[in-house]
Amino acid sequence: MAASAKRRRGWRKRLGALARFTGALVIVGGLYSAFAPSLYAQEADDNAVDSEVVKGQELYDTSCITCHGDNGEGVDGRGPSLIGIGSAAVEFQVNTGRMPLANQGAMAIPGDPVFTEEEAEWLGAYIEHLGGGGAVPDDLDALVENADVGSGNDLYRVNCSSCHGYAGGGAALSSGAEAPALGGTTDEELYQAMLTGPQNMPVFADNELTPEQKADVIAYVQYIVNDDADRGGVFNLGRFGPSTEGLAIFLVGISALLLATLWIAGKS
Amino acid sequence: MSAHNENQPGEPDLNDPKLSRFEVYREGLRRDGIEIIHYEPRFGRPGTGAEKRMERIVGGMFLGAGLFATLFVAAYIFWPWEYEGAATLSDPETWYTPILGITLGLSLLLFAFGVLTWAKKLLPVEELVQDRHDGGSARDDRRIAESTVDTVADDMGLKRRPFLVKAALLGAAPLGLAAVAPLGGLIKDPGDMLTVTGWNAERYNDGNPVRLMLKDGAMVRPDMVSVGGQITVFPAIEAGASNEYPTAPALLIHLREQDAATLRENLYPMYQDVDALWGNFVAYSKICTHVGCPASLYEQQSQRLLCPCHQSQFNVVDNAAPIFGPATRHLPMLPLDVEDGYFIATSDFLVPPGPAYWNRPSLPEEDEQ
Amino acid sequence: MKRRKGTSQSMMTKAGGELDDRFKLAGPTRVLMNKVFPDHWSFLLGEIALFSFVLLLLTGTFLALFFDPSMAHVTYEGSYVPLQGVGMSKAYESTLDISFEVRGGLIMRQMHHWATLLFMASILVHMMRIFFTGAFRAPRETNWLIGILLFWLGFFEGFIGYSLPDDGLSGTGLRIAEGMTESLPFLGPWVSAALFGGQFPGDEVIARFYIIHVFLLPLALLALITIHIGLVFAQKHTQWPGPGRTEHNVVGFRMFPNYVMKQVGFMLVVWGVVAAMAGLFQINPVWLFGPYEASVVSSASQPDFYVMYLDGLIRLFPAWELRIPPYFTLPGVFWPGIVAMGLSVLLPLAYPAIERRFTKDRAHHNLLQRPRDFPARTGVGVMVIVFWVIGVVSGGNDVFAQAFNISLNAMTWAGRIGIVVLPIVAYYLTYRICLGLQQHDREILAHGLETGVLMRDPEGRFYEVHQPLAEPDEHGHTDLEYSGAPVPKKMNRVGALPPAEKGFFKSVESSDDDRRDELEAGR
Repeated sequence: MAASAKRRRGWRKRLGALARFTGALVIVGGLYSAFAPSLYAQEADDNAVDSEVVKGQELYDTSCITCHGDNGEGVDGRGPSLIGIGSAAVEFQVNTGRMPLANQGAMAIPGDPVFTEEEAEWLGAYIEHLGGGGAVPDDLDALVENADVGSGNDLYRVNCSSCHGYAGGGAALSSGAEAPALGGTTDEELYQAMLTGPQNMPVFADNELTPEQKADVIAYVQYIVNDDADRGGVFNLGRFGPSTEGLAIFLVGISALLLATLWIAGKS
Repeated sequence: MSAHNENQPGEPDLNDPKLSRFEVYREGLRRDGIEIIHYEPRFGRPGTGAEKRMERIVGGMFLGAGLFATLFVAAYIFWPWEYEGAATLSDPETWYTPILGITLGLSLLLFAFGVLTWAKKLLPVEELVQDRHDGGSARDDRRIAESTVDTVADDMGLKRRPFLVKAALLGAAPLGLAAVAPLGGLIKDPGDMLTVTGWNAERYNDGNPVRLMLKDGAMVRPDMVSVGGQITVFPAIEAGASNEYPTAPALLIHLREQDAATLRENLYPMYQDVDALWGNFVAYSKICTHVGCPASLYEQQSQRLLCPCHQSQFNVVDNAAPIFGPATRHLPMLPLDVEDGYFIATSDFLVPPGPAYWNRPSLPEEDEQ
Repeated sequence: MKRRKGTSQSMMTKAGGELDDRFKLAGPTRVLMNKVFPDHWSFLLGEIALFSFVLLLLTGTFLALFFDPSMAHVTYEGSYVPLQGVGMSKAYESTLDISFEVRGGLIMRQMHHWATLLFMASILVHMMRIFFTGAFRAPRETNWLIGILLFWLGFFEGFIGYSLPDDGLSGTGLRIAEGMTESLPFLGPWVSAALFGGQFPGDEVIARFYIIHVFLLPLALLALITIHIGLVFAQKHTQWPGPGRTEHNVVGFRMFPNYVMKQVGFMLVVWGVVAAMAGLFQINPVWLFGPYEASVVSSASQPDFYVMYLDGLIRLFPAWELRIPPYFTLPGVFWPGIVAMGLSVLLPLAYPAIERRFTKDRAHHNLLQRPRDFPARTGVGVMVIVFWVIGVVSGGNDVFAQAFNISLNAMTWAGRIGIVVLPIVAYYLTYRICLGLQQHDREILAHGLETGVLMRDPEGRFYEVHQPLAEPDEHGHTDLEYSGAPVPKKMNRVGALPPAEKGFFKSVESSDDDRRDELEAGR
């Protein structure tokens, strides 16, 4: 009994130390993040692009260097080289929370982003600075505005539906990898993903799909996934097709009718 | 009939004017072998409060059914329904189908439960038992039937005239055949439909090598596919991207340098002989060798091609040989070259693309694995 | 006007007399109206299928007014924006038109599809009831055979109907069916060419499927359903064992008014459920799938649930292909596709004969068996259900893998192992459970019901008081024969208390209205 009480006290001490340490870290971090951006903001007036690169490098050296190596050269067995992948790829990976990687697995799993969109831009600028690559065009909104949804539909079915599904629901790939569902994605994310081919997704660079064609695809995806409500009912059963429809006929249809038979043939 | 019935013992005289309606009715039950075990009105005395309440409930359900049916018809006529571009749930036309379904459903269900409540709560409580009369007919009936059939057969002389019977059968058999023979119009020689695809230059392009094109008709140049990218290509012939050439679609992949090197090492001899790769480009048939779905989930990191129908997985850097799932054969490779800056297929697929069939030619390379 | 007092009663009598003079209806009418039907909830399952079939005929006729079974190529100009300018077949275009240009067309399409799923699902549930209660035994083997044929006719009718819109999803399904056809030894390519008028997909298959879907198969279904119900009528329905029920009688209520009213009510319930589901749940949104193109596919491509177990078997089957060089190949899909389907038709058809070989029981049976009273059959049934469910889940294993974040390859392997192991485990467990339930019933028959009252005898031993079901002998045992009928489970069903009749939602006895009425009448 005595021994275990002592051990518990030891734990408490250690926990307390940990809490104090964490508190200190939060305060320091908070102060840093409160003041640091304002310091950089003054510099940015001089040379906006270069300072973004510098800020990006700073973030890179703290958060990415372990896996992707010095100057984005990559580390064998940990992370690929980032030279030449461009800012669009970086922003896609960071803004969707895929990077920094939570743990090494079959796939980078999207989640809550660790960096702000601004920080992601800096990181993107840094990687772009290392070796070029692709970037989202500035007039993407205008492109999507004028896009042809019908042509986007044709392109989507030939190039995208095999993995992301007719209704944009995503799919399981081999050995635990998966193609994500497209619901709730922004135009920029869709564009970045096509342009850069994150993880297992093939690249659809501008020589395969022109920016206009990408905009068509984006317009189509947004149309079916986000803009247009389902016409066939209050619930769309996840648009999974026959598998959830089969589940529904048993869970709703057959169950309701079984209850009805019990009532009809029950004693009254 | 009636005279015969009157003579039976224990049977009431149906002409007796004193007989009540129920007694006549019960005589009907008796004749059908039915006995009443239990029969009493649901409500001891008619017109009690409980009975009236039940009547009101049932009546209310019928009227409610009528109300919802009216709503259905009204919604059918007056609710906006036409598709006018993207609409959110706040636009009335997205609710047209749900409103029709729910009003019609409620109307049917209310009427249904009206009828059912009537049956359950207002009809008399009854339990009857009926003789089942299971098993065959009575002996006499059976004997009479046998004799009847035999007499008929005898009249026709089926036994005495065996020649007629045989001749009739011999005549009827070809007649039956003649009845189904016109279905032969369906039969079609499959010929080489399973082996020749739209890439066959002799058949479809006057012997000139067939170029690769995209679905919209654009010819494919090497600079149109970036590293780690893939596009679906079709033979650049008339209607080459249509369902007229269902086995032609192929997936053109631009491999990374080291992946292409691995593939070159693994390349089957038949593909080495025709130099099927062009640079780091490779083209595989998009039609799965299992049962023919487009196997087109290309994973550019793990270098696998997945078929979404039955999850066969093919190794892109090993001749697209199957590595998982039910497929047994590799995806045929389309031999590539570049002419005048455009991709061409130097020949048709070396083995037939698509699902296997009994006389599908097997090449030694396939049998080895 | 003179005989105003004669009223409807005598009018009816007169009309009835006129009819009887011509058609001699009095006798048959009486027999029909008095026919006795047994009452049990499980006897209503087949009706779900019947009523969905009627609804399918109605909604299908509506759809046929607008559907154009042609594979001619057109460019879509309708109101669904994302498909405008896309090339497609007329069949697909007219399906889109039913959904978007025909007022109320979409709800009819959805009712037709939901009614199909309900038709097939209720056939399965109905078949399970018949199987587990032994209702297929003599003299009803013929109706079992017809029932199995009805399932398979519905299977093909459903698959063909699902293919008619010529959309991307159903075209993929058709492609798989074609691949399976090609796997037939010797005949494969010929059968495929005959079916599609040449190479798949050709431009004839939709028109051919259409005439089969709206004429041949519905006619066959209608004919077999008529015989099926006619035989139930003529052979009289089976009944559960119980007091007063024998092999030679039927205990229940009359066809009119009780049975018919309940049937009409239930028919409207079935239709109401289908209509409500069609309004609540979107089904088969073909406009998202696009037209069928040989180079286009979607992830999560599945057939409707009743075909899904075959698709699951095809997914699970290992990559085994028989090759006899130079000129014979038996593709792997032949086994899980053609052979498994053939066995799924033949084994159920043969089951009554197989069981009879083991039991040597040729007698007529009109009393049903409880599943526990024939553990081997119940075990086989549960085994088949487990096999089927694993097949169905494997048919959707990519959706499962995605929804629950499981590796696809792991799902496939789990299915491969599970479909071999689990049915055997299920058989064994079911068998034991059946025996246990039987034993429990026998104990109650012998010793009576447990009352929960503990007593202590003078020597200090505890024992529980049992309430015997009949007068016990000196050992406290009753001599009640085990007859396969339900035994009482609750104390107050026997003994001094009158049976508490239970209503569906509340005890009927607790209704105060009758007592109040009685009091009022007494005053």
